[in-house]
Amino acid sequence: MNLVTELNKATADLAEPVVSAPFFVRGKLLEGQDVTHRSRDLGVTFATPKLDLDQVVHPRTEVPPLLNVPLAEIIDFLVELGERIKDPSNPFMQECIDRMCSTHILPRSVVENSARHAAGYLDKRTLMAEVEQNFPDPKALDTWVPKQDYTGRKSFVRAFAPRLIHVLPGNSPGVVVKSIAQGAMVKAVNLFKMSSADPFTMVAILRSMAEIDPNHPMVQSMSAVYWRGGDNSVEPILYRPQYFDKIVAWGGGDAINNVIKYLGPGFQLVSFDPKTSISMVGKEAHASEETLDLAADLASGDVMILNQEACVASRFIYAEGDQEQVDRFCAKLQKRIAERAAASGDIRPLDMDLKEQIETLMMMDDEYGVWGKADGKGLVIRSEEPVDFHPINKVANVVRVDRLDDAVKYINVATQTVGFYPFDRMADYRDRLASGGAQRIVHLGEAGPSTIGNPHDAMYALHRFVHWMAHEDGVEA
Amino acid sequence: MSTLAEDVAATPEVARGEAGSAVEKLTGQVADPNRYDYSAEELRATQIAAINERFQDRKDRIKLLGHRAEEANISEVRSLEDVVPLLFPHTAYKSYPENWLMEERWDRLGKWLDTVSTHRVPPQDKSQIKDVDDWLANLEKSGHFVSCSSGTTGKSAMLVASQKDMDWCKVEAVAAYSWGSGVKPLRDRRMFGLAAIAVVPRNMATGEAYTAALQDPKFERFHYPVPPITVGSLTEMVVLRKKIADGTASPSDIEKMERISAERQKAVDDAVGITADALIEARHDKLHVTGLWAGLYNVAKAVRDKGYSGKDFNPENSIYVGGGLKRAKLPDDYREFVYETFNIQPERNYQNYSMQELQSGMPRCQKGGRYHVPPWVVPLILNKEGDALLPIQDGEYEGRAAFFDLSLDGRWGGVISGDKISIDYSPCACGVKGPTIRDNIVRYADLEGDDKIGCAGTVDAYVRGVS
Repeated sequence: MNLVTELNKATADLAEPVVSAPFFVRGKLLEGQDVTHRSRDLGVTFATPKLDLDQVVHPRTEVPPLLNVPLAEIIDFLVELGERIKDPSNPFMQECIDRMCSTHILPRSVVENSARHAAGYLDKRTLMAEVEQNFPDPKALDTWVPKQDYTGRKSFVRAFAPRLIHVLPGNSPGVVVKSIAQGAMVKAVNLFKMSSADPFTMVAILRSMAEIDPNHPMVQSMSAVYWRGGDNSVEPILYRPQYFDKIVAWGGGDAINNVIKYLGPGFQLVSFDPKTSISMVGKEAHASEETLDLAADLASGDVMILNQEACVASRFIYAEGDQEQVDRFCAKLQKRIAERAAASGDIRPLDMDLKEQIETLMMMDDEYGVWGKADGKGLVIRSEEPVDFHPINKVANVVRVDRLDDAVKYINVATQTVGFYPFDRMADYRDRLASGGAQRIVHLGEAGPSTIGNPHDAMYALHRFVHWMAHEDGVEA
Repeated sequence: MSTLAEDVAATPEVARGEAGSAVEKLTGQVADPNRYDYSAEELRATQIAAINERFQDRKDRIKLLGHRAEEANISEVRSLEDVVPLLFPHTAYKSYPENWLMEERWDRLGKWLDTVSTHRVPPQDKSQIKDVDDWLANLEKSGHFVSCSSGTTGKSAMLVASQKDMDWCKVEAVAAYSWGSGVKPLRDRRMFGLAAIAVVPRNMATGEAYTAALQDPKFERFHYPVPPITVGSLTEMVVLRKKIADGTASPSDIEKMERISAERQKAVDDAVGITADALIEARHDKLHVTGLWAGLYNVAKAVRDKGYSGKDFNPENSIYVGGGLKRAKLPDDYREFVYETFNIQPERNYQNYSMQELQSGMPRCQKGGRYHVPPWVVPLILNKEGDALLPIQDGEYEGRAAFFDLSLDGRWGGVISGDKISIDYSPCACGVKGPTIRDNIVRYADLEGDDKIGCAGTVDAYVRGVS
């Protein structure tokens, strides 16, 4: 059933404007309004050209265009791309931000900042660190690296350029930039499947790239298109090992279930799973008014990353202390979340179902505490156990615990980042957090940044992207 | 010859509200053969007055309603617009913390239920209640009939109703059926239910009423040979799913549930042959067949495989199919296949539009093929977001369905649905004047799908339920 994507003959009846979302296929911009789609987040309609499946597959009889371009040159090219993305006179990026604001759920300032911030990844030292942390010997990307074992058997090993499909999320321009850079550094042939929540940013960046040099092998290695996730006229055809080695996918639920059915020998999944991040605040926060203010401020910063749309944004805060102490923390936390929300101009109301559940808790006031209103301006719920809905849109759930040890049981396989206060207790907890499934433990207030080149989603992704090829060369005479 | 309408007329206590009230004026028409034939425009003032009667009586009794009224600053319902902020989304009936169900905190759940109930839910003594079925049975003793929805992958909705509501369902369900299908309740049919029914008060009440109206007393009603679905058994699945998510379910817990699930599937598979044989044996009698499409299709296929088809069955057979396909994969012609197998003429194929949050139905007429809204159910067609009333238009227009069911006693009558519907206030092709809904209802959720991908998500994405 495909009720939402329909051929364009129906669009004449639509009262609302249709935003154009062109494709970019191996250096060429493809414009057209053949098919219209709905962006769920804002209920906006966008139109794309018809997808020509033959164009987006790079034949296996031809080696990937980037294969013999040195990594150093690729990185220089990416750095230049970063400058173009940040350049306020770049018409593609400006147009993209305009369009994004008509389809994105976040306010304009947040979209602008995150696009600029994303380009920060395209830094020479950052990119080199990424490669060096992922590969014991990055030279394997550029050449066949000689090896010899203790028996005298010799060989050459190459981190060979793979063919990748990237199923992009719609909530972060940072992922768009990273996907381009990582795909380029492993010299892959890349097909980017854009999300309905952002069918623009990837194409704008690829157009900026083509401006630098339309014939550069990097430009020739990248295509960005849209089809509706799960589309049976596309996925069963493209998702084959004869066309691609790996599918790099973000998200869970239907998005991943659609992909999983096509996995098999030769067609593997590298998944960036959907994650929930939390905070743990120790009793030391209650030492003084200053420490409590500090902990509340740091926690509010983690809650409000990308206005709580990102996976690193904290949703549950386990707070050690008695109810009176924890309630004082909640009041301060709510105040800071509301201030940050107001400063970003984010006035999105809460989803009806979420509002309903929160209002029920407000009526059961002998068991729950609620600070703020269910109006989307920032709200904190205090409970003895985590609430059973997903706090989103500036909503934090503070779970009171006698000891932080009692919070460890709530860590699960979906837990990504744990922001911790005070910092000197982190080492006591990290083994148990990892055992429960968590992936990062960070200073409270610093959920965003990470040491350059560190693993993401419990893996070194670039290492998994490549096609490790061995050339056996006999035994030393 | 007695018709159902006459039977109902003889039971005046089914009508709701004080004598002479607007509510009574509208609900009192449940037995009127011309009840769907009215001008919505002429009736509107009475409907608004009736909603206000309900509102004035309930605002201090239903805690959630009081909260809504206060937030929206509404003290009186003077227009349909005033009703919109007072509507409850379907999630209102599943807003209890699921942990309470897992931890069997019946006292807390009782307190929650009280926030959506018209009649006070007495304090529940935890120590006297052994499980969820016991808790529900206990509530019935105090006149609270709670029907749970069968959400196997998520929370169950808990819909509280009163004895008056149970009495209403018995009368209204059969009356709507009789109007829509043209089948007179003459107790001259053999009823074959082809689906396992959830054991909840509303199903029990309507099942009893249908049996009293249609079942030929010379025969025993056919019992579908599958263990009944109790709320306890539904809850077990929900609790297990939650435990899998928390990581506290052991492999043996999952193994046990897989075993129960496999036994259940075997009972369902075995039931097909048993039911087909029973239907073949009864083929010369006048039958009334009910169920869901998947079960009906499987039994019909078994009947055909045994060499029987339409020509062998009684030409006056009738059918009532509940729900949609529920993701079952069937051949394109599954409907025709079922009708033809049991020799069901198009006019005796009953369709009804309703939802569990309401208790009155909207039967589909034979000639116009549209669902008719009775005068005691007030349609409110909202924008997609569900926060504003669309102006009532000439001709057909579409929007999010919300209704106020004036017959409801035990809980609030105003609910917002997840359905996209097309309504028309002009007369139907069948000649009846009241508002009608086109037979093309879809859920907004199904339209939108889940194309959105973000890096943020919950542990739900990591849970594979049992098969």
